Amino acid sequence: MGWNEPPNGNKGRDPWGDRGNGGGPPDLDEIVRRMQRGFGGLFGRRTGGPGGYNPALLWLLGAAIVVVLLIFDITYFIDQQERGVVLRFGRYVTTLQPGLNVVFPSFIDNVIPVNVGLVRSITHKATMLTQDENIVDVEVAVQWRIDDAAEFVFNVEDPTATLRQVAESAVREVIGKSKLDFVLTEGRSEIAQNQKQLMQKILNDYRTGILIVTVEMQPAKPPDQVKAAFDDAIKAREDEQRLVNEAEAYRNDIIPRARGGAARLREEANAYKATVVARAEGDAARFEQMLTEYERAPAVTRQRLYLDSLESVLSKTPKVLVDTRNSNNVMYVPLDRLLDRPRTPGDSGAQPDAATGRTAAQALQDLGTQPDTRGRPER
Amino acid sequence: MTTQLRIAIPVLIAAIVVWMSAFKVDQWEQAVVFRFREINRSDFEPGLHFMWPVMDTVKKFELRLLNMDQEPQRYLTIEKKDVIVDYYVKWRISNVRSFYTATRGGDIESANFLLAQRINSALRDEFGKRTVQEVVAGERGEMLDIVTATTSQLEKEMGITVVDVRTKRIDLPEEVSTSVYDRMRAERLRVAKDFRARGEEAAERIRANADREREVILANAYRDAETIRGEGDALATEIYAAAYGKNEEFYTLYRSLNAYQNSFSSGKDLIVLEPDSDFFKYFRSPKAR
Repeated sequence: MGWNEPPNGNKGRDPWGDRGNGGGPPDLDEIVRRMQRGFGGLFGRRTGGPGGYNPALLWLLGAAIVVVLLIFDITYFIDQQERGVVLRFGRYVTTLQPGLNVVFPSFIDNVIPVNVGLVRSITHKATMLTQDENIVDVEVAVQWRIDDAAEFVFNVEDPTATLRQVAESAVREVIGKSKLDFVLTEGRSEIAQNQKQLMQKILNDYRTGILIVTVEMQPAKPPDQVKAAFDDAIKAREDEQRLVNEAEAYRNDIIPRARGGAARLREEANAYKATVVARAEGDAARFEQMLTEYERAPAVTRQRLYLDSLESVLSKTPKVLVDTRNSNNVMYVPLDRLLDRPRTPGDSGAQPDAATGRTAAQALQDLGTQPDTRGRPER
Repeated sequence: MTTQLRIAIPVLIAAIVVWMSAFKVDQWEQAVVFRFREINRSDFEPGLHFMWPVMDTVKKFELRLLNMDQEPQRYLTIEKKDVIVDYYVKWRISNVRSFYTATRGGDIESANFLLAQRINSALRDEFGKRTVQEVVAGERGEMLDIVTATTSQLEKEMGITVVDVRTKRIDLPEEVSTSVYDRMRAERLRVAKDFRARGEEAAERIRANADREREVILANAYRDAETIRGEGDALATEIYAAAYGKNEEFYTLYRSLNAYQNSFSSGKDLIVLEPDSDFFKYFRSPKAR
């Protein structure tokens, strides 16, 4: 202990030496005095000389600072949506609930805050195979939160990345067990539900302490490469309906028309019937009235009717009178020339013939069809 | 030596000794204590532990579930079809001694590498026994269970327990995807054609039925119309017969005279006759012939 023997025997140079001050920690006084000088009298001059400070007061102050620091160290506030995982010398002891908690100082207890209330979300979008080896585009959104703070911290390396792996694996497994039509149409909610259950089971097996809140699946779509064909199939379904509607429209057009035509046929028949009957009644009435008059004077009426009718007929019609008893066997009657001549009603052929300049009567004379007044040269 | 020194130095030395011999094992760790570089003890609960200061050293290992994930691999199925598989492995160190020995000091990377080799060959075997559909759909879980089981010997060899092997992706390679798309397109085309054909069939049926109904309606109407006309004719005939039958002979005269008038009413006719009918009775002489 070389420093204990000052070369000069100067007691003052020995920092460990006795100060001749009796009890108390004199070296502490020295240090404090130096500090005091540096601070320019912060502590103020108290009564008394060099040893004038009350050591008890300084101790008290120091102790107070230490106590305050200690209090800060051992109290821990936990937020409402947090929990605190406490490790004592590394060993898990408890999970702190929200509020004011007291733990051991930080070299003994380590508090890890974990947010268990916040709901986090991940989405995963991918193209995958269905059970019947078709390809489909799928997008899922997973909402999750930490349920067991201790498990989340201790059991799994990078639990958030693990969650993503599990999500990818689960969605592919669920889609891989479903057929394409099911995925595209009515299976959406069931698939999401199955995926949620599967994910939770796996995460529980790994003991991640994660709770899946919801799994939502966006409507699955066929991949872009085949989208046109899928859209056309949907359009074909509509086309089928359209064709049926068009046929129905055709039917609704011609059936009423046919009924209309049928009604027309019936009405025309009714009209005919009425007409025919009315005409018959009219004719019959006329005849009966005529009959009544006839039966009053039959012979006269008969003659009258006969002569009236024939007069009417013969006066309107061109005629040729022939007398076959006294004529040659062959007679030349230019009927076509007679027929062709323009004539008015009532004309009995008295116009001269254009070619010969003779009327029919004159022609007849030449032909020898005369009354008995002339002779018979031919005979 | 002063009193303080007597207190302070031993206290300090004691503190340093404690500092050198105490170690903390966290809840997610496991520790191995080596004595003179040899493994001495490996079964430590989490918490504060002590060892001999100079002789012993401590090394810590992961207790947590670890992840092994590598590039997607290509495997061949029993149908000689390629599939691209991306999987992950969850494993943990179950026996620290064996692990330390097998991985030359506890290197996680080399552990992952060895694990990958094992898993790859196990998966290759399993994929080679199954079809694509079996792999994707039905037997996915069963196959992974088999793989996990076959790696159970890793426990003994490497001190590793494989907890789970799961596929993240089983996809067809690009060139096969194209043919799948073609097949999907063809199937949709068939479905579309089916719909349209069924629509045509139904439409044709409806049209044919409508035409048939129309014919029936019109035929029935024709039948009814003819019946009515017949009734009309019959009625008229009855009326005529009733009237004309009162004097048949007069009717004949009357009707004949009307007929003569109507027949020669056009004025374009030509009558050639002998003047010997009753009309010409007084034609030759004023006395009746």
